[in-house]
Amino acid sequence: MVEQRNIKPAALTRLQEIANDPYGCLADLRKRKRIIGSTLADVPEELIHAAGLHPFLILGTNNPIRHSAALLPDNSCSLARSNLELVVGYQSAFFDGFVLSQVCDTTQHLGDIWKRKFPDHYFENFLTPRQVARPSARAWYAEECRRLRGALEQYAGRAITDAALRESFALYNENRALLRRLYAIKREAPALMTNREFFDAVKAGFFMDRGEHNELVQAVVQWAEQTKDHQASANGYFRVICVGIVVEPPALYDMIDEVKGTIVADNLCTASRYIFYDVETKGDPAEALADRHLRKPYFTPINEDVRRIYADLISLCRDNNGEAIFYVHIKYCESQDYDLPDIKAAMRTEGIPFLELETEYQTTHLAQLKTRLQAFCESLFTKGAQGGVR
Amino acid sequence: MTAASAKPSSKELSRVLTEGYLLDARTAHEHGKYVAYTTAVSPVELFVAHDVIPIYPENHAVACLTKRMGTELSLAMEKQGYTSHLCAYARSDLGYRITGKSAMGGIPDPDFLLACNAQCFTLTKWFEVLSRKYEVPLFVFDTPQWIREPGARKEIVKYCVAQLKELIAALEQLTGKKYDYDRLAQVMAYSQQASVLYRRFLDMAAYKPSPISIFDALIHMAITVYLRGTPQAVEYYQILCDEIQAKADQGVGVIADERFRLYWENLPVWFKFKDHFNLLKSYGANILTSLYVHAWSYEFDLAKDPLETLAENYCSRFSNVTLEERAEMALDLFRRYSMNGSIMFVNRSCKAVSFAVYTLKEIITETTGYPALIFESDMGDPRFYSEAQIKTRIEAFLETLQRRQAAGA
Ligand code: SF4
Ligand code: SF4
Repeated sequence: MVEQRNIKPAALTRLQEIANDPYGCLADLRKRKRIIGSTLADVPEELIHAAGLHPFLILGTNNPIRHSAALLPDNSCSLARSNLELVVGYQSAFFDGFVLSQVCDTTQHLGDIWKRKFPDHYFENFLTPRQVARPSARAWYAEECRRLRGALEQYAGRAITDAALRESFALYNENRALLRRLYAIKREAPALMTNREFFDAVKAGFFMDRGEHNELVQAVVQWAEQTKDHQASANGYFRVICVGIVVEPPALYDMIDEVKGTIVADNLCTASRYIFYDVETKGDPAEALADRHLRKPYFTPINEDVRRIYADLISLCRDNNGEAIFYVHIKYCESQDYDLPDIKAAMRTEGIPFLELETEYQTTHLAQLKTRLQAFCESLFTKGAQGGVR
Repeated sequence: MTAASAKPSSKELSRVLTEGYLLDARTAHEHGKYVAYTTAVSPVELFVAHDVIPIYPENHAVACLTKRMGTELSLAMEKQGYTSHLCAYARSDLGYRITGKSAMGGIPDPDFLLACNAQCFTLTKWFEVLSRKYEVPLFVFDTPQWIREPGARKEIVKYCVAQLKELIAALEQLTGKKYDYDRLAQVMAYSQQASVLYRRFLDMAAYKPSPISIFDALIHMAITVYLRGTPQAVEYYQILCDEIQAKADQGVGVIADERFRLYWENLPVWFKFKDHFNLLKSYGANILTSLYVHAWSYEFDLAKDPLETLAENYCSRFSNVTLEERAEMALDLFRRYSMNGSIMFVNRSCKAVSFAVYTLKEIITETTGYPALIFESDMGDPRFYSEAQIKTRIEAFLETLQRRQAAGA
């Protein structure tokens, strides 16, 4: 039966299909529920879910920018531009409303422009605290959750009971736990699934019905549990720490797969920041959400201890025996722009091989990135841990 | 000589006050005081009442950019791995940290940093860099967007008051001194008086012809930015108001034959400041105002808890309100100052102020029916300023205004 072991389960294939055509699945769901999109990374989706609405994450489009060019200057980050492009240009028919969080100058203005473009859609701001350094942040996050809860109740025309909310917490906790389990197996047995497969499985959850996503991920976890021992050898792979906000276009994962890098840890909004830590199902629900929020991995636009920009990366790398850090830098993301020189200096001091991959949603220079990645890996393997900082 | 004529002119007083302020800051430690960097829009009253001298890296950057040092300083920081996409103030400041080059002999190093994000988010990130460099604490005063619903606003104020208390605790820790709320009340009173006078000065733009232009506003806003909360600032704006009122009473305008009264959106292009003024003047056009200069006309309610009125004022700056409200603020100026056109600058340095400009233009032109010119450039770096193109566009715009006027529009 050895030859059978590499056959991927149908559930994984299905998750990948959804990740690669997410908006199609929303069209189906819309027949059953009203669909509410939210932006990365801090809107508590459980609240939307408990209101009987379908939450999903707006993750932009890699299609060319046509409609949003007249609304935002071209030095805005491509995440903002392509999110706006998606809703204005392509898929607005899939959405009933939005809850947008504000983390930086770009997102603050984006929300306003967006709201004006869709006067007939439901719209809520979620005013995420932009500091998590002090106790006031926790109280504020909880307060914003209470406000959002009230606003959603009004829109949905029904009360969000504590019991319904706790059910949603449990459902999402289960989802996070399954994904964390899958991540742990992938870490041990890199040959089992590619980076692309794993991160696609996570991504599918941003769009799908959560219960259905749990079923599919559960099936993949089962398969992985049964198969991992046969695939456990990590030979030939090197351990990568993937850092940033989003990894777009997803072909970047393929490139890392091609050079046999296996991502063993990350702080991405679309991965660890999404799946790490559960919401406590006892006590005050808003405060439970706030507690989870404060435990999430470091996110560059949110101020905390100013050294976390590199201190966290060093521990991520050391704790996970990382051999290199790949920093995915979204062009024109100011927040990352300010961090990068100090991060690079710290990596040099620590001797941690570090590669910056600057990308855009509509990027046209993938070949160039690939060459950089290959050259970096070559020097990494010839010079060992002295792969350098690029 | 009458007693009145012994008073210094606003110009002289501005020079004396600025020199005194810088000397104080440079010798702060000798006098048991502290130096804190902060953002131009931030509750600096809390510093003034606690012997912490505020220094504004943005003001220092303006001095450098006006002297056309923008490119040189930016190149220095680009060499260290920063990008030229950042705000020109930050580029100029980080360039100064590397080269030591300054248009005004530099500024003292900080003991503390305070970033208030009602103004922008860039400053938090820029100050994070400085906080690591100087190993001094950074306090981020997080002011959520001042959305319209009154209930939400009440909660925002609560969050902000809680943070101001945290800030006071941080200041007590820095100085080892207990905070003196009576002094704060006094500082708030001065700040309020200066704000009223500053606004009166700005509102003189309503006279026809206008005795001031935006260029006067930009020059005279300096004192309220760095000395608000002091009796000196009150005296200064009183003198300034008297001077300008005298001009208005005599019907003296900045432009003798004032034909066009314009609104400017965004910050100025600092290194083109004079050129723009002269070009406009040759067409009889005066730029009267901008929401930018109004960012310092606060309305503190002295009957309230000082922390509450501080929170309300700093959250509700034009850069932190919703797009509709910001448009409404601009339209209010249009009405009060009888303006009949606008020049809207999309400043690649400043995402915070610029990202809404396209939509703002839409709203303002739709509502007023007056034409608007939009142009993209950078406030501080001549590499991103296309001389011929922008000049041609401004001229073409002014000619449109002339044609409309001739046609009786
Ligand atoms: S990628 Fe950066 S600039 Fe863009 S929305 Fe996110 S934090 Fe803001
Ligand atoms: S980004 Fe804008 S508001 Fe912020 S410091 Fe620069 S010019 Fe000022």
